[in-house]
Amino acid sequence: MKFTYSWLKEHLETEHQYNEVVDKLTAIGLEVESVQDTGLAYKDFIVGQVVEEEKHPNADKLKLCKVDTGREKVDVVCGAPNVTKGMKVVYAPVGCVIPVNQMKIKAAKIRGVESYGMMCSEYELGISNEHDGIISLEQDTEVGSSYADLSGMNDILIEIGITPNRQDCLGVLGVARDLAAAGVGKLKNREFKTEKGSFESPIKIEIHDNDICPAFAGSYIKNVKNEASPDWLQKKLKSIGLRPISALVDITNYVMFDLNRPLHVYDADKVKGKIIVRSAQDGESFKALDEKTYDLKKGMCTISDEEKVLGLGGIMGGESTGCNFDTINVLLESALFDNVNTARTGRDLSILSDARYRFERGIDPRSTLEGINYATQLILEICGGECSEIVLAGQISETLNTIPISGKNIVKRLGLEITDDEIILILNSLGFGAKKSGESIQCTIPSWRQDIHGEADISEEIIRIKGYENIPTSNIRAISKVNKDILNSTQKIISKAKHFIASEGYNEFITFSFSDSKKSIFFGEVEKLKIINPISEDLDILRPSLIPNLLASIKKNTARGIDSLSIFEAGSQYSSTTPEDQINSICGVKYGLSNSKTWRSEKKEFDIFDVKNDLLNVINYLVQGNKKISISDEAPSWYHPGRSGKIILNKKIEIGYFGELHPRIANKFKIKTRVNLFELMIDNVPLTEKKTTNKPQLILSDFQSVTRDFAFILDKDVKSSDLIKAALNVDTKIIKSAEIFDLFEDKSLGDDKKSIAIKVVLQSEEKTLNENDINSLSSKIVEAIEKSTSGTVRS
Amino acid sequence: MVDFTKLEQEITNSLSKVTDLESLNECRIKYLGKKGEISLLMKKLANLSGEDRKKQAEILNTLKNKTLSLIEDKTEELNDRNLNEKLSSETLDVTLPVSSSFGSIHPITQVIEEVVTIFGDLDFYVAEGPEVETDYNNFTALNTSEHHPARQMHDTFYVETQTDNMQNVLRTHTSPVQIRSMLEHKPPIRLIAPGKTFRCDNDQTHSPMFHQVEGLVIDQESNMSHLKGCLEIFLKTFFETDKLKMRFRPSHFPFTEPSAEVDIGYTKKRNQLVIGEGDDWLEILGCGMVHPKVLQNVNIDPNSFQGYAFGMGIERLAMLKYGISDLRTFFECDLRWNKHYGFSPLNFPSLIRDLS
Repeated sequence: MKFTYSWLKEHLETEHQYNEVVDKLTAIGLEVESVQDTGLAYKDFIVGQVVEEEKHPNADKLKLCKVDTGREKVDVVCGAPNVTKGMKVVYAPVGCVIPVNQMKIKAAKIRGVESYGMMCSEYELGISNEHDGIISLEQDTEVGSSYADLSGMNDILIEIGITPNRQDCLGVLGVARDLAAAGVGKLKNREFKTEKGSFESPIKIEIHDNDICPAFAGSYIKNVKNEASPDWLQKKLKSIGLRPISALVDITNYVMFDLNRPLHVYDADKVKGKIIVRSAQDGESFKALDEKTYDLKKGMCTISDEEKVLGLGGIMGGESTGCNFDTINVLLESALFDNVNTARTGRDLSILSDARYRFERGIDPRSTLEGINYATQLILEICGGECSEIVLAGQISETLNTIPISGKNIVKRLGLEITDDEIILILNSLGFGAKKSGESIQCTIPSWRQDIHGEADISEEIIRIKGYENIPTSNIRAISKVNKDILNSTQKIISKAKHFIASEGYNEFITFSFSDSKKSIFFGEVEKLKIINPISEDLDILRPSLIPNLLASIKKNTARGIDSLSIFEAGSQYSSTTPEDQINSICGVKYGLSNSKTWRSEKKEFDIFDVKNDLLNVINYLVQGNKKISISDEAPSWYHPGRSGKIILNKKIEIGYFGELHPRIANKFKIKTRVNLFELMIDNVPLTEKKTTNKPQLILSDFQSVTRDFAFILDKDVKSSDLIKAALNVDTKIIKSAEIFDLFEDKSLGDDKKSIAIKVVLQSEEKTLNENDINSLSSKIVEAIEKSTSGTVRS
Repeated sequence: MVDFTKLEQEITNSLSKVTDLESLNECRIKYLGKKGEISLLMKKLANLSGEDRKKQAEILNTLKNKTLSLIEDKTEELNDRNLNEKLSSETLDVTLPVSSSFGSIHPITQVIEEVVTIFGDLDFYVAEGPEVETDYNNFTALNTSEHHPARQMHDTFYVETQTDNMQNVLRTHTSPVQIRSMLEHKPPIRLIAPGKTFRCDNDQTHSPMFHQVEGLVIDQESNMSHLKGCLEIFLKTFFETDKLKMRFRPSHFPFTEPSAEVDIGYTKKRNQLVIGEGDDWLEILGCGMVHPKVLQNVNIDPNSFQGYAFGMGIERLAMLKYGISDLRTFFECDLRWNKHYGFSPLNFPSLIRDLS
């Protein structure tokens, strides 16, 4: 909310400087968002007088003037048609900045004649659109005086952020009341005199639904003259950035910003019969003051006459009964509308208005009559006319809520020692009626505080005024531990995995949890993942997988000349949009060169064994202790069918996938070369409770170990893992390891053949193996492998 | 009698002329080999008798030892020379480049781990909740009824599923984790809940997805002064400065009462924010005493239990601490950014070693 310091001082008597007031506003919860010295832009402009005026020698439309600035007489070339000798003008000296275009005035030769400074129009000063001529000031204005002072623009504009609970501060009066309570001044008492009407209003008012509109006060004013508002009112509205429209409209706006009391004024001659406040009917429509037509629904609060809807209660008036300069008779409305209903209607119709903003936050019921009286009084003063007696339909509740609070509880909540007497003092300064009553304090809540419901709310009022800086600081370290573990097992797994994977060369990316349905169809059921109101078309679903967003990032990075990319993301993916269907996953992607060509290595591209290696390493790190890892070639459909695998833990847990991205998908993402990736299904990593810190006993053999190499010619589709398994199974005690050290494919072997060479390590824990033992084991190994793979040993 | 002096002279001379290990070995064989001159002389001693044998034996032994010692010296000298020659031929250009193969940890992960480390030390556990939330958990249970004006300040994303006839939402804050955790655990409760949050807003200073961390303490006596104490330890530890200035000012959140916003003091030096110096204020977090209605909503008796809650933006913490100027860059996936602002994978925040 915006207001000027001078406006504030109409309600607050204070000796304080504006900057002290500004600090206090923030301290009591009315956070100052900006402070602007509005006179600053005008500080260099002074009142001058045209003392000589003649035609420019070289231009028909220009005039050559001598302007008395109070200190000197300067030559000014001027193009305004209305400039005359003796005129008092707003003079911008050399160096001055013109507000409307930020142009700096320089001494200049205009058509061969020197000109020092400029005489300004209202447009150039940014105070109106009037640019047909320069401003002509009153003749009694003092030459040389400051224009900022003269215009009343020498003021401070303060903008505060009002939190939704502080509806009472949506008017300058409320802000002043809060400041007075906080000790920066005294609230000026403004008496609202009741206008005694001289006749009965010809327009009757009926409320048909008291729930949506508990009270409606109307004042009929006849024979008004609706013109432009007087200067003081226009300046006031302009000072907070509002556009003056006509006196009647300006008065209602002024009262709204001054007292936080929304009003509406109808052209009474356009109202047919009586005013009826009722719920809208389905199918009704209404053209509002914003010139848009709205389709209404049952339950919306309408102000209607006997023929049509005139306005939406608490939100916006209608075009049909709007006031203009021809208006003669008016009906002024000051009403109460239900806040929930106002909010719902406003939201359903997407209408934002100052009235809605206030009514949905709650309006002081007592302002209904104060507001109508004050506005009637202003209309009579400014527009003339005669007013009726005020008609009131419905009822304004006079009873105020009283709640008991306990000083002890307040102290317990705030952690601050404060006496009951001080509590009472603070509350009374805020307009609460606080009285001690036995052990408790009875608090009567002022009508303007719609947000106060209980003791907790009152504790905030007390500490707000007492000052948050007075809350002491207490130690929070607990004597006995509250929690056994800080992180749960899954959280630990994710954290460890992230660091491990980063140590394998991957850079952690965080991408949006949203994704593009068109590009995500490969990864899940996108129709189950829709966001109703997406931020953009290509972020229209929750991601079914971490993959699509990471793929999208590849293109961006390669466009920047990056030829090697190792990235991962740890996050959630979704199988539907219910809270339960969120899946923890980690995806690593390698793209481009694993080695660029350097002085010590040849260029090499990433392949699936890079990602397989990384995935196995992280699984081995995360799942410690005994485990059985097997690999099958059945990866999900988004992988290359012949270049991908699934890692299975302990025979049944699908813990991860790796492989090359399906080329069709790569194509869809416009990625030209192979992408290799892995996925680690975090939720499937077994959460083994740590039973013991002991590691299994280490048994080391002191007997000599022997290695033997074997090579086999096999069909191409024989899996190397089967060969290794066959070798190891020959004697699980003595055969310590069997590793592939060569893979060879060549036409000489046959088109569908390959050769695999393995190195087997033999070592007994009981004796040194002799030649016989070794030979016997070797033949068994060859036999076993030949049998299980239908291959033949190479000799 | 043999001229031992001459022999000694001869040995010394020939050894001094030796320039490689091979001729040194030849020399050794010539004098000390099985058929070497000294060895042969030794054998002949057997033919002598008495005093003479004793005397010559002594001389021969001395000569033999001297020769051995000369050969040893020569061996060392030649080895040294050979090594020096080898070393000078092996010199490499050590300025040739090498490369590191580490990846990096995202600043969001780093900051969350720092926050967890600090609060873990204060006995807070890390709670979690889903990113798709029920309307009830995200708003209603947090004392934000359907028509509460505060609800309109949240630009909420809605999804197509429903819970209890209300559209589910992408959580607009981490506060619903408070509700889930309080329904699950009885007080005393001390938790933080870091995580992703979503608002339908996308411009220079807003991202539709961002991260928050929520804090909640519920017990029998935690009050606003504890809240102040808690945040003071956190902020000073996090920003790694004891000079940190804090300012609490009143604010409003539907789920806390009283509510406060916390500012920290800063100044700008050479276009960089310096936290802990200067007189300007920067908003850093929102907090307050948990509203009694929120406690009632999770079946905790507000007459017996009370406590505080706070929430802050992870990106904001990261930006302030690490001098990252643009919010949107966090999720832009520009590898150069990640390498520049990211952290070593071996960097686990610790209060014993270093936080950052």
